Formats: sequence, C-alpha cells, structure tokens
Amino acid sequence: MITVTNLVKERGKARVLDNVSLTLPKGEVAAVVGPSGGGKSTLLRCINALETFQAGSVQVDDLQLEAEGPTKPSEQILRQLRQRVGMVFQQFNLFPHMTALGNVMAGPRYALGQSNEQAEQRSRELLVRVGLGDKAHRRPDQLSGGEQQRVAIARALAVNPSAILFDEPTSALDPRMADEVLGVIIDLAKAGQTMMVVTHAMRFARQVAGTMHVMSAGQIVESGPPERVFAEPQHEVTREFLRRTA
Amino acid sequence: MAPMLPTFIRLSGALVLMLTAIAPARPEAPLLKWGMDETGGAPYIYDSRTKGFEIELAAYLAKELGRTSEPITGDWKALPESLDRGDFDIVLNGYEYAVNFREQASVPYYIYRLALSVNKDDNEIHSWDDLRKRKPDGSKRKVIALTGSAAERYMKKVFKDDIDFDTSDDVSNTFDLLANKQIDATVQDNPAAIYYVKKDEARLKQVGEGLMPNFYVILTRVKDKELRAKIDEALRKAIRDGTLEKIYRKYNLWNDDQERLWYWAEQPWPPGADVAIPEAAQERPVDWSEVTRLLGAAALKTLQLAVFSFPFAVLLGMLIGVARMYGPGWVRIPCIIYVEVIRGTPLLLQLFVIYYLLPRISPVFKLDPLYAGIIGLAINYAAYEAEIFRAGLQAIPRGQMEAALALGMTPMTAVRRVIVPQAFRIVIPPITNDFIALFKDTSICSAILITELTRQYNVLYNNHREFIIVFAIMTAALYLMMSYPLSLLARLIERRLRRERSDA
Repeated sequence: MITVTNLVKERGKARVLDNVSLTLPKGEVAAVVGPSGGGKSTLLRCINALETFQAGSVQVDDLQLEAEGPTKPSEQILRQLRQRVGMVFQQFNLFPHMTALGNVMAGPRYALGQSNEQAEQRSRELLVRVGLGDKAHRRPDQLSGGEQQRVAIARALAVNPSAILFDEPTSALDPRMADEVLGVIIDLAKAGQTMMVVTHAMRFARQVAGTMHVMSAGQIVESGPPERVFAEPQHEVTREFLRRTA
Repeated sequence: MAPMLPTFIRLSGALVLMLTAIAPARPEAPLLKWGMDETGGAPYIYDSRTKGFEIELAAYLAKELGRTSEPITGDWKALPESLDRGDFDIVLNGYEYAVNFREQASVPYYIYRLALSVNKDDNEIHSWDDLRKRKPDGSKRKVIALTGSAAERYMKKVFKDDIDFDTSDDVSNTFDLLANKQIDATVQDNPAAIYYVKKDEARLKQVGEGLMPNFYVILTRVKDKELRAKIDEALRKAIRDGTLEKIYRKYNLWNDDQERLWYWAEQPWPPGADVAIPEAAQERPVDWSEVTRLLGAAALKTLQLAVFSFPFAVLLGMLIGVARMYGPGWVRIPCIIYVEVIRGTPLLLQLFVIYYLLPRISPVFKLDPLYAGIIGLAINYAAYEAEIFRAGLQAIPRGQMEAALALGMTPMTAVRRVIVPQAFRIVIPPITNDFIALFKDTSICSAILITELTRQYNVLYNNHREFIIVFAIMTAALYLMMSYPLSLLARLIERRLRRERSDA
C-alpha cells in the first residue's frame, strides 16, 4: 500500500510536482501516463526516496517519509523505505561487474545481509521466473537489452519489496524486446504484485493497470480505470495525449 | 672536504648565481673563476661566500694572478667534470689529492686528516677501535662519512661489517644527526670536524687520533699548464711567507701537520714515482665483482622501496579518493588539503621532513631510512592515486549508485560493492603507469641515506671517475631491466581490460 499526500517538489523555481496525491492499494497495478516532462519519473523517484521533496508525505505500509524539513530523515528510514519499494529503471542500471545472478543476489547479500547460499537459491528461482534461468552466469554486456531489463526486474524482486516501481521500463528497447519485458510485468500483475508503472505503452497500460493516472505539468489531471479514461477522457490534456499516442 | 646541503637548498645557490650573472660585469681585471659548492660549507666557504679559508685563499690567488676572484657554484661531486666542460678555470673546494688527479693537481695547500666525532654524552667510544664494540642492545654502531670521500673508502676498508656504516652528502646535517643521537659517530676531514664540534660543543666532541693524512689540492684542466704553474708559484709563496698560516690560524686550522707543507713546497710537483705519497692518495684498482655486487644490492633496495611503498599509496589514495567523493564535508576538506599540499610540494622536501625534522619533535619518529623512504613515497604517491581514483569514481554513471540505493544498500555498502569495483577497472591503467613513475622516483630517496641505485652510482663514480660512463650504463641498464617488465605488465593489463569491455 502506497499513499502519496500533497507532494510538492521544486527544482529551482520550477514546480516539478505540484500537490500530487494518490493511493496504490496492495495487489493493484497503477499506470502513470502523460506527456514527457510532466513529472512522472520524479514522482517515482520521490516515492523511492532517491529524491527529496519540499512538502507533503509518502507512506509505504507503516513507513512514513515526510518532506525534508530542518531534520533530515534518518539513513535508516530511507533504507527501509527503499527496500520496501523496488525500482526498475529505464536504463536498467545493472551492475556491469557482476553476472546476472550476481546482480539479483546483490540486494539479498549487501542490503539484507543474507549468506551467499541463502541468496543464491532464491535468486536462481527469480531468474527462472523472468525466463533467464540459463543465462545466470552471463555478464550484463553479454545480454540483450530486454534480457538486461528482465534481470533488473528479478533484482528488484529479490529483496521482497511490497511494491515495485517501473520507470519507463521499455522506452530504451525495440518492440520485440519490449514485449518480452511487458510479458514479465503482466505475469507479475497476474500474481498479485503491487506495481506502479510509468509508461508510454498505452495498450499495455490498458491491459495491466487497474487505475490510470494522467500527469501533466506536475499535476495528476485525471485518474480512473483505463477503460473509462480511454473511452471518456475528462481533461483536455488527456484527449490531446491519447490522440497523439493512438 | 666541502660539506653539502641537499639539492633544494642548493637551488637557492643557483638562484644567487643567476642573479650574479645578470648583474653588470665589473670592468676590472679578468676573472679567476673557481668552482666550489658553497652550501653549508663551513669552514671552507660559508656565510654567503663572505667567510671561509678557501674564500680567502681564492682571493689571495686572484690577487697574485692579477685577476678578480669569481666563485662559481656546482655540485661538489661533479666539480672535476664541470671543470673539464669549461664552467670555471679551477676547482678549489677541499679536493683530495689522488693519483688520477696527478696531471691536474696544484701543490698541496692543506694537509687534512680523518677525524672521528661522537656525541658529548658518549662514554663508550674513546678511540677508533671502540667503534667495533657493540651497543648494549647488541646492535652495531651507526657511523656516517661523506659520500665519495677518503673517509668513506677508509671506513669501508678497515671496519668492513663491524659497524653499521653509511654515507651522506650533507656534512652539516650529519653533525645534526650526531647531536640528536640518531647516529653514533661520524668520520670527516678535520677542518669540518673542528668547525662543527666547536660550534656545538655542548653536544659534540672529537675522539681518537687524526688518521690517513692527505693533501687538499687545487684542480686545473690538464692542458692549462701555464695557469697551473702560476698557481703553484703563488701557493709556494704563500706557504713560505706565512700567508697561508695566517689564514689557517684565523680559522683554527693550523696544526703541526701543516708544517709539512714547507717540505712539499720545496719538492718538484707532481711528485715523481719514487716519492712516497700519502696512502690515501694512492691508486685504487676497480674491483668489478664488488661493483656488480654493490649495484645488485642497490637495485634490490630500489625494488624494495617501490614494491613496499606502492600498495600503501594505492590503498591510502583509494580511501582519500572515496572520502573526497562521498564523505561528509568535515572529511572532504582535510582530504582536499592533503592532496593539494602533497602534490604541491616536492617529494625531496617531504622525505627531509620525515627523516630529519620529525625526529626532532619526538624520538618516536626516529625511523630507519628505508622505512622513512617507503613512508615518504607512499604518502606522496597517495595524493596522486587519490586523484586518479576520484576521476575513476566520477566516471561511474549516477544510475549505478541509484540502483544500489534502491535495493536498500547503505551508501557505504553501495560504494564498496558497486562503485569502487567498477572504478578499479578504470583506474588500473593510470595506476600501473604511476607505479613505473614511482619506481624511478625512488632515486630521490638517495637524499635520506638509502643506498639505492642512483646513490650507489654516485658513490661508485666518485671513487672511480675514469669509469663514469661504464657505471652510468650499468645503472641505467638495471633500471630498465626492472621497469620494462613493468611497462609490459601495464600494457597487458590494459589490453585485457579493453577486451573484457568489448566482449559484448
């Protein structure tokens, strides 16, 4: 369960996030769509505490992160929060000096403090789950983009997060590879994984998401079930955006 | 014997020389340019060339020759080579007579002996033989003589392994070491011993008899027969009419030995083959197996300095580089200061601080020269490695740190497990390159009494000037034999890293 309340993020004079609120119940999938520069990625990065914000709060289960005030949030809280929320990046960001298996084991070993043996078995299972059981010992530079992103998903899953955030997971991939990755995400959705996906892939968003949020200029301009948003867009931005991506 | 200060002080002498060179030339008599090494050279030449018995002797000679005295600074050990190059007309700076100078040497102007000086508090060394007695803890006595001097040759020949013997270029510093009890004794020509012991009577004393008398002579180029004849004539005159005695008495240097100058002033010069000359001046054949052994041992020292210092430099450099990139402000600022101070000052100076100055603050810092050299090189190179690491760390994309943090790693763990291992691959080629550079910089450690290759070369050529080229080639070959494999290794590592990257 993720609750974002009145989030405000400023970069210099620009308001990147302007009073954003949303709720992502457990077991649900939310898609965040909208024109580039609307603040979608920044929202994810704030939820995962990779960026600070000036007002509002982020709550993940029982952990609450307040806006950066006179007191900085403790390193402990940040770490717990990040563990609770997995992140899959647009550019994969795999660790190039480790094998696929090593990447998946990195979280359990270096963040959760598990032993090698403990970490390895489950990591192998996760690689099988994303369809890469046979490529556990390849290094990232020996994998295709789609394979790399699937390793990144397994890596995020390995620390048992209660939710996973996807930041445009297929934008850097050609269509065939994108489909591989989307397939994995759809499987996760079916298994009841809580997820928030920033994406430009509309068909996919419609297929996977229970709720769709349209963001523009730092605000959520429209939210609702994808069918409704597609059929009867309420906001001018949504109509414009859907027309372009159709 | 001219005591000498380290190069960095000598540089100031070079500056003075440059300034003199631009000053308008005096329109007077032609110059008598004489080569010397003034730095710390009491009682020979000191107080900015205003004092010293050789300053007065040169002034006298110039007057007799109808010229103006013009002292020219050079490196003492290389004065004969500078003379041959034509940098000056004569060498007048405590040069000992030796058979190989026969064709160049004037009549003697002073008869020196080797003098033994010890610390005033020393109650165990009363004579030369006492040097052989072990210290209460069983260790050998540490004795230093001037590099390339007759004292060095004598001590090596007579005492062999009975003492912990070393040499130094720097007489005034050697007496400081003795006063601070960092060494047990020093063997120097008596003019220097008389001067320094008198200067620091509270802490120093002379013991034993003066040994191995020999002559100080003025050197001229072999072909300058006329000049040599004039100088001989002037010296003989000064010996006969008491001019020399007057100068030496002024500096407390007159003693019974000098009365022998009367005898030599009447003899034909250079002395014929049948004339008995001092033992110290006799020819010394080169022992090539000994030369090889010495150079080999020195090469080992060079290798030790490089191999033991560099891992510390890399480790310290890595810590500083990481702290500077990821540490909080109160850690970053001292790291920046460290890097800038160490990079901005010469290694030579840093070695001097570690070896000579720190022990004055506390005896805790009294280090064996080899350790001081290793520490100095490590501290110095750490600053450069830190900068290499910083560049390497900066080259890692930000997404790597974010991905690690997103998994819930602490920033420390992220740096250790994700950032540093990647940075390492980037920094290996420049670091191997630095290792080769450090390897050659070990030669600077010769300034703190470590007999590594460069220093051994200096010692050898001082003893046998006729083989200077051979020694130079042997020394260069040894450096190359050690550094070229390193270059190959560096290239191999670089190639492998490149292949790993392009394997995709």
